[in-house]
Amino acid sequence: MKKYTWLTLWALFLTTLLFTTSCDSDDVAPMPTVEYKKLAEGNAAGSDIKVELYSTEDLATGYNQLYVALFDAAGKRIEQGSVSLKPQMDMGMMKHAAPVENPVSEQTKNGYFPGAVVFTMPSGEMGSWTLGIQVQANGQTGTFTTPVTIKEPATSRLKSFVSKTDGAKYFVVYLQPQKPKVGVNDIEIAVYKANSMMDYPAVTNLSLVLEPEMPTMGHGSPNNVNPTHAGGGHYKGKANFTMTGLWYLHLTINDATGEAGKLHFEVNF
Amino acid sequence: MKTPLLLGALALAAVPVLAQQKAIPADSVRTIVLQEVAVVTKRHDHQQHLQNFYNANQAATTEELMSRMPELSFIRRGSYGMEPTIRAYSGGQVSVTLDGMRIQGACTDKMDPATIYIEPLNLQRIEVQTAGASSMQGAAIGGSLDMKLAEAELSDERKLSGSVSSGYQSAAHAMLGGLRLSYATPTWGLRASSTYRKAQNYRNGHGEKVLYSQYEKANYALNGKFLLQEDLVLKADLIIDDGWNIGFPALPMDVGQANARIGSVSLVRENSDRRWSRVEARLYANRIAHSMDDSARPDLPVRMDMPGLSRTSGMYLEGTTSPGHHQQLTVRADASASYLSASMTMYQEGQTPMYMLTWPDNRQLQSGIAAQYSFQVGDKTQLQLNSRVNLSDFAITTGEGRSQLSVFGYENTARQFVIPSLSLQASRMVYKKLKASLSGGFNGRTPTASELYGFYLFTQFDGFDYVGNPNMKSEKSLQSEFTLSWQEPRVRLQATGYVSRVQDYIVGTYDPNLSAMTIGARGVKVYDNTPYALLAGAEASAVYNITGYTQLVSTLRYNYGRNADGEPLPMIPPLRSITSLRKYFGDNLWVQGETELAAAQNRNSESFRERPTKAFMLWHLRAGYQRETENKVWQLNTGIENIFDVHYREHLDWGRIARPGRNVFVQVSMGF
Repeated sequence: MKKYTWLTLWALFLTTLLFTTSCDSDDVAPMPTVEYKKLAEGNAAGSDIKVELYSTEDLATGYNQLYVALFDAAGKRIEQGSVSLKPQMDMGMMKHAAPVENPVSEQTKNGYFPGAVVFTMPSGEMGSWTLGIQVQANGQTGTFTTPVTIKEPATSRLKSFVSKTDGAKYFVVYLQPQKPKVGVNDIEIAVYKANSMMDYPAVTNLSLVLEPEMPTMGHGSPNNVNPTHAGGGHYKGKANFTMTGLWYLHLTINDATGEAGKLHFEVNF
Repeated sequence: MKTPLLLGALALAAVPVLAQQKAIPADSVRTIVLQEVAVVTKRHDHQQHLQNFYNANQAATTEELMSRMPELSFIRRGSYGMEPTIRAYSGGQVSVTLDGMRIQGACTDKMDPATIYIEPLNLQRIEVQTAGASSMQGAAIGGSLDMKLAEAELSDERKLSGSVSSGYQSAAHAMLGGLRLSYATPTWGLRASSTYRKAQNYRNGHGEKVLYSQYEKANYALNGKFLLQEDLVLKADLIIDDGWNIGFPALPMDVGQANARIGSVSLVRENSDRRWSRVEARLYANRIAHSMDDSARPDLPVRMDMPGLSRTSGMYLEGTTSPGHHQQLTVRADASASYLSASMTMYQEGQTPMYMLTWPDNRQLQSGIAAQYSFQVGDKTQLQLNSRVNLSDFAITTGEGRSQLSVFGYENTARQFVIPSLSLQASRMVYKKLKASLSGGFNGRTPTASELYGFYLFTQFDGFDYVGNPNMKSEKSLQSEFTLSWQEPRVRLQATGYVSRVQDYIVGTYDPNLSAMTIGARGVKVYDNTPYALLAGAEASAVYNITGYTQLVSTLRYNYGRNADGEPLPMIPPLRSITSLRKYFGDNLWVQGETELAAAQNRNSESFRERPTKAFMLWHLRAGYQRETENKVWQLNTGIENIFDVHYREHLDWGRIARPGRNVFVQVSMGF
């Protein structure tokens, strides 16, 4: 008779155990492993410094993070120096440059001088890109120039518009989110103005209005945060996606005098 | 001659639940019994008449049977999968259990209430408890509905019995097949039953086919009972219910598949000599998989799949004792864990599928302790105290789910609720056979998973997308009920009035800042607590045995509801009455005429875009014939429902879809 009382108690105990041990499955995102791919190497003309150019992705129209490594004649890594990037598009009849972000520090980070170039068009029949890397280190100065191939990405990451307020051409480039998810996403874009064919300064005084839209459904999403200037022409805000699929990130760009232009980026995931 | 009949009888408010234990019946319990009635030699016993009385259309589904109880109404979106409401309380406000087991629907659109997983063939009885008495079952403000499963039997000699039945209904060209086999020995028994139903699109009162009203399902139930000791029984249950191609004419989608697997093991000790005269411990688990499907619908802007999954496991322990003379105490402890997830994937030609979680994966842990104490004070007065403390813990279980909800700025989505409830009922014989009962108390309920975490759940009823709100408070209710009953052998009259004030009434509030997700939706509503709502109403029933061979049963009910602004609540059924007159011709034949009357409902909720509903009156005629041969019982049931082919809809029917027109049904069964 006691046996069944114990049976019941055991059953209760096991159930309780079952309930308390059913833990939440929390998906922990693994740390992404960054792989630097070497794009080019060579000596900086006029010096004995060896220049190596790296990136983590294939170069494409839009914002490209680049990493420059310098070595002295003995093959030793140079940790201190100054690097500036000089992209140039040769279209035969004319040449133009592109917006760049030169390494801000004269000190390497993990052995590299990080910078960025916003390539404004793909390589092709229209013309070809070269990237000049001007280095100054160990009391020497030189430039290494290499041809680079720029692909057009499946989804455009660079937009341009002619401002309604000052008539100048502006480039807007998409940086984040690179891995969009359903939920709140950090958004980052950068804006550059074409002052001339060779001068593309970052624009820091804009106010942006962000409006995500799902074009096939015709709906938006709530609680987005308009990107605001975060330094160097970069603007950061929040974009919310309520489901996967194709989204448009509509941006209205205003300067001090009013609406300068409108454009949208596509996000498809 | 003790052969059991197929399907059983249905009685109204006649059998107090605790009667077997010689306990004190509670007035707030309404029971309909649906057990297999043994045909015994004693004929025309009053009790049996009463039980047989509601044995209306034997091809009916469990939902159709229940809708005849005055306390119950059904929100109808299709001819199958109707959502039960008790006195205009619906959804999370009522506790719907299957033999005390919790089952969470896996459908975000409430297309799979627990009532669909059980067939009249494996149903023993239905217990509806209103107001305070429902505390034993769970934390609810609108009462509880518990469906008791039919059980295997034990018998002194080894015995095999069974039944085969088949039925047809003309309005939907519906076919029904049922099979039951029982095997009984002195120490163990097995009972197996299966039901198959297939219904086409039904015809309404204008003779038009109502598209997408078809359904098909199969239900299998297995129950075993083993006598371990003189007074100790081990029981095991398994129910498999598969529905497919279930149409929902009032919704933009149908159900492709609805599969339920429900199992339990329990130990019951019944011995009146012990201190605890009855003790039951049960472990259970169930899994519901549900997938909505729109492949049958033409011209949709977007095609979508909406699968949902619910898993629940739980236990309860219940004991009854008599702490003193004329006293009875029942104590119950229960706990359950439910895991829900549902998603939606939309497809557009040449595009990435659009995927989102409509129920971000979430779980609810629930535990409670309840007690019911009855005390017979003298000959005429009886007191009953019901109480419960319920603890609930809700949480989103995946980072993906939390990430999705963060879109609304909901950072902390885990919620805990403590819900206390208490009610006291006093009954007294006030004059001759007139008994008066007064009860009052408070209770509450937690928000549902949809109300906490729902993500753009489109509701066809008002055309809005609904978004959950994890910051909501629980809903609390203060209520009171008064019953007068007069009972004598030939006449039984009962009238009940109730009123309740629901504090922090949960309702979706329109948020103009949010844009609707569903194409064609009017906007987005976010669930929130509103100050209060007031619900009131009355039910009355009369059973009159005019002669031993003629019987009259009539029920009447009225519900009223308004919110804090004085606006009528939506989904409030109008005044409604069902009256039946049955006459027996000899021992084997009966004929029953019936009217069903519903008043117009003009108290409609404008803010839910609810529209008024017209009054209607229906006439039904039913007849039964039974023939016993040496070792078989043959039964024929037939009738015509909605004889005059009235074109009507009930107020709780969504989408202004008309109900079936004239329906001729016939069912034959053979029991051995």
